[in-house]
Amino acid sequence: MTSPLYIIAVALAAAFLLGLLREQWRSLAYPVTLAALAFMSWLSASWLWALASGSASPVDIYTAGTAPPFAINLRMALPEAVLTLLINLTGLFSALYLKSALLARGRRGMAVLLVAIMALSGIVLTRDIFNLFVFLELVVIATGGLVLLSDHAHALSAGFKYLVVSQVISILLLIGIIFAYHATGTLNIDGMAEAVPGLQNAGASQAFELAFFLMFIALVAELKPFPANGWALDIYEAAHPAFSAIFSAGAGTAALYAVDKLLLIGGPAWLDMATGVGIVTFVAGNLLALPQSNDRRLLGYSSVAQIGLILAVLGQRDILGEDTYFIAGGLLLSHAVAKAGLFWLSGLLAGRQLVDWADLRERPMPVFAFVTFAAMLSGLPPFPGFYAKWELVHHLAGSGRLVLLALVLFGALIEAGYLFRWFGYILKREPPGEADFCRVIFDKPHRVLPVMVAVAAGWALAFVWGELASSLLGRSNLLLALPLLFALSFLLLDWLPAWVKNSLAIAGLVAFFAATWTDYDALRMIFAIIFTLGGALTLLASYHVHGRRVGFYPAAMLMFAGMVMLIRADTSFDFFAAWELLTVGSYFLILRGKHSEPHALSYILFSLGGAFLIMAGFAIAAQGAPQFALASLAHVAAPFAPWVFLLLAIGFMTKTAAIGLHIWLPGAHAEAETDVSPMVSGILLKAGLYGLMVLLLAMGKQQLYGIELTHVLLWVAALTALLGNLMAVFQEDAKRLLAYSSIGQMGYALFGLALMNHLGWLMALVFVINHYIYKAMLFLAVGGVAKRTGTREMYRMGGLIRLMPLSFIAVLVGIIAVSGVPPLSGFGGRWVFYNAILASDYRLPMVVLFLAGPIAFLYLFRLIYTIFLGQLKDELRRVKEAPFWIVLPQMIYVALLIAFAVVPGLALHRVDTYLNQFFPEGGLSWAGGEITSNYGYWNPVAIMIIVGVIFCTVFAWLLFVNRRAQPVKQFNIVFSAERPFRPETTHFAWNFFAPYRKALGFLTQPLVTIFWTTVTDLLHTAGDLGRRLYNGNGQTYAFHFLAFVVIVFFLVGL
Amino acid sequence: MIAQLSIATGFLLILIGLYGALIQRNILRMIVAFTVADTGVNIVIVAVGFMAGRTAPILDAAVPVADAAARIIDPLPQALVLTAIVIGLGTTALMLAYAFKLYEKRRTLDIDKFTDLRG
Repeated sequence: MTSPLYIIAVALAAAFLLGLLREQWRSLAYPVTLAALAFMSWLSASWLWALASGSASPVDIYTAGTAPPFAINLRMALPEAVLTLLINLTGLFSALYLKSALLARGRRGMAVLLVAIMALSGIVLTRDIFNLFVFLELVVIATGGLVLLSDHAHALSAGFKYLVVSQVISILLLIGIIFAYHATGTLNIDGMAEAVPGLQNAGASQAFELAFFLMFIALVAELKPFPANGWALDIYEAAHPAFSAIFSAGAGTAALYAVDKLLLIGGPAWLDMATGVGIVTFVAGNLLALPQSNDRRLLGYSSVAQIGLILAVLGQRDILGEDTYFIAGGLLLSHAVAKAGLFWLSGLLAGRQLVDWADLRERPMPVFAFVTFAAMLSGLPPFPGFYAKWELVHHLAGSGRLVLLALVLFGALIEAGYLFRWFGYILKREPPGEADFCRVIFDKPHRVLPVMVAVAAGWALAFVWGELASSLLGRSNLLLALPLLFALSFLLLDWLPAWVKNSLAIAGLVAFFAATWTDYDALRMIFAIIFTLGGALTLLASYHVHGRRVGFYPAAMLMFAGMVMLIRADTSFDFFAAWELLTVGSYFLILRGKHSEPHALSYILFSLGGAFLIMAGFAIAAQGAPQFALASLAHVAAPFAPWVFLLLAIGFMTKTAAIGLHIWLPGAHAEAETDVSPMVSGILLKAGLYGLMVLLLAMGKQQLYGIELTHVLLWVAALTALLGNLMAVFQEDAKRLLAYSSIGQMGYALFGLALMNHLGWLMALVFVINHYIYKAMLFLAVGGVAKRTGTREMYRMGGLIRLMPLSFIAVLVGIIAVSGVPPLSGFGGRWVFYNAILASDYRLPMVVLFLAGPIAFLYLFRLIYTIFLGQLKDELRRVKEAPFWIVLPQMIYVALLIAFAVVPGLALHRVDTYLNQFFPEGGLSWAGGEITSNYGYWNPVAIMIIVGVIFCTVFAWLLFVNRRAQPVKQFNIVFSAERPFRPETTHFAWNFFAPYRKALGFLTQPLVTIFWTTVTDLLHTAGDLGRRLYNGNGQTYAFHFLAFVVIVFFLVGL
Repeated sequence: MIAQLSIATGFLLILIGLYGALIQRNILRMIVAFTVADTGVNIVIVAVGFMAGRTAPILDAAVPVADAAARIIDPLPQALVLTAIVIGLGTTALMLAYAFKLYEKRRTLDIDKFTDLRG
């Protein structure tokens, strides 16, 4: 093996060579720089390979041929190999990226760059504290130089501020080092660590503590802790993006490792301080990033926050033990690769505002790159940060460090908030004028290559961390999961026309079901059918879209992959990973709607917030157990069980949009594309119900402070049903009406589950099936109408029955089914429901739920009446029936609804039997065509016949009576002495239920929306207040640093 | 005694330097203040290595190798201080270059005038 010393030697030699190069050979300077960096990277990579494969063992290099403490020694072990590789590669690709800037500034700039990278590697390699100081100072000086590669107007003042604070830091560090040396007699880090316990007397030991504090605080300051970091943020904002990449990925990495080495000397006493500084920085950094509008400054705050989190992880090594490096490494590499990638990406754009990133719109590759980086930073599967966060949260929960756990998740949620808001800008905002992005790509391939390398590195790391997780911790490598691979393969197939991809997607879903259907029990079978075959059925509607439909299929299939992985999961880890995948996939799907930017954002935030609660719930339930099967939820010990129940239930209810957590749903479902609404409403909502079923089956009834939690759920469910339905009544927008109606319907299903008896569960399952069928059908029908009429406002429609008869039939059948009147399947649901009520003792919530029933009639009537009946609008006279591919699935759903109404036993009999093992009492008996409960019987076929006969009789009689009736002409209307004051108020369908609104409108006050808006406003205000600390003055920043030192000093209490 | 006195002097210089660096608005004065603080640090380093009654760490006829360990002072802080001086020089030079450039650009050396990046 080549000695790692050459990493330093080659960089120095190349730097000197550049200085000595003859004038006529100047053109060689840049190739020499790249070659040196490439060699350094290769050297690190070869050591990494050798160390990881076991063909080499860690080495110590004695620089002067003597062992420490008489000479400096360097060490190359696995962490050093990984970190130097990261630093050198960042340096190499940044050098490539900096080509024009370096060529313009000449070879001296290149020499400085080489010295910077060398010094960063040196910080990682050295085991000598003074040597560390020297490398650190080299980094400072090199940074001072490299900041000026930027064309930014304020790079100069940013660099000076940085130097001022660095001077103060280095004074403290130097004093600390010399006194630490005085106390221990060595400068070797390992030697110091050995010498500390043997210090002679209390005085010496106290002096050493003080010296150590100075060294430690100085190195921690290199991590840019809050609030001592204003100087670093200016660098992030003003420097060349390629240098910011080095500053974030390289310098952050090196400083973290330096702190890690120092913790070796200080021992466990200093871990708390690292944790404290780290977590405060993580939360504050993210909070401050929230109000930023400049992209690079935002990335700076985010870098500060991420490094703070890793510092906190290092501070938790007393409980993380062997997993420390798995967790810290996962977070660090995710951060470094993603930040470098984002900084490089920012250099391809002209504008510096976040909204300027809309330039990337319509360009799949950069958008994909951004998604990759954002997912890495927010710790989404399958990236390393996901595995790391999972383990971290489990360790914290297992050791009872719940406050820290809550802070970690809170900070992570804010971070996801601003990253996904930013992504929304990219896809949904107008590009700021003439985008010169295209030109950049073709002119400057050397700037695009590093970004692509970072993307590739991100996915490679995802695989490596998955492998590590499976070999070290027994988790599954998500990138080997077949459904996920299938979904990701659509990324590669995105150049195909939409209909080909659609066929592939349908084939994939059906084939998956065919291959696995024997694996499911009766309960899971229902969900499996809805998730796969149901998904395939809704995908039929997607044939109506022509062109390539870039980005649709990866997102849709990611959602379906998550859903099938969800029902196949046995362990909490697999379950949670699937949950996150389906969340992310559905987010991308929802975001595709034309006006869905804010709704998609609130969807992902509620979902991730819910997901974090679920993760915390699982972690508390596991109590440090390495593997946690979902079935073990039944055996969670007493003090934790109700809390676990609460966390998981709230988490799942964010997906079913229970009242209070529902505000994302109406916008998200209504603004989604025509064929997406049925997927996210009919199918996706069931994932939340599935989670609740798993939870309730395992944990059953739980009591918290004497309150029965399922009883609370009943109330939540009843209120959800009531208010969901009520809000649906007052919508003008047809799709919003359907969306609110989904909230109400989910309330019914939740109610059934919370009853915790046989019939309640059966009712919930009937709702699961019914809701899928009719909500998918109604969303398609209304979507088709909206597509043809160009509006979703119902008062702009009317009289469409003759023009869109098939859509009319679908809506008619749909509303009969939803309202639960005979003969369609909704009645089955009601029948089971009434029986369930009779079997249960909770009267009051039931009254509330009863009230919700008639309210549903109101909005359903409005739906069919205002769209299809009444007068036809002038401008709609030429409207045609909805496209074939949108109508086809509706007709299939009509057939399904009727079939399910006639033979409900097909689906329910097996489930009924299956439920017997959990709720042995109160089952139904299925004899012939008749279903009997303790309270009565239900014969679907007879009902169908009876209702059919009555309907035909009445219909025939009506035809006979009305044979001379005249249709009312268009202008045959009178305003009965009322003067319309706005054009829309002339239409009867506007504010259709005004009297009811007068009576019940107070119930639909947007209290919940106001609450959540206030929460986000408060966060923004907090961030804005924090920003005032950073007044731009270098001296103030130096003062911040000293104040930070003093405060930490007193907190540590030496 | 000499050692304690020197250390105290060093710390005094450091405090004076830091005070100056934080109080002076003029960039050149700030830089001078930093060099004062640097000098203080260097004095502290050397003073820490000082041992009363011993000689310089030069091995020659006067100090045979055999009893060197008992007769010379600790040579390491002196080696360190050389490095520290060099680094201090480098940083100071860089800061002066910055000061020159800043003045060139804005025609002022008032640190309060360079607060464009903030928040």
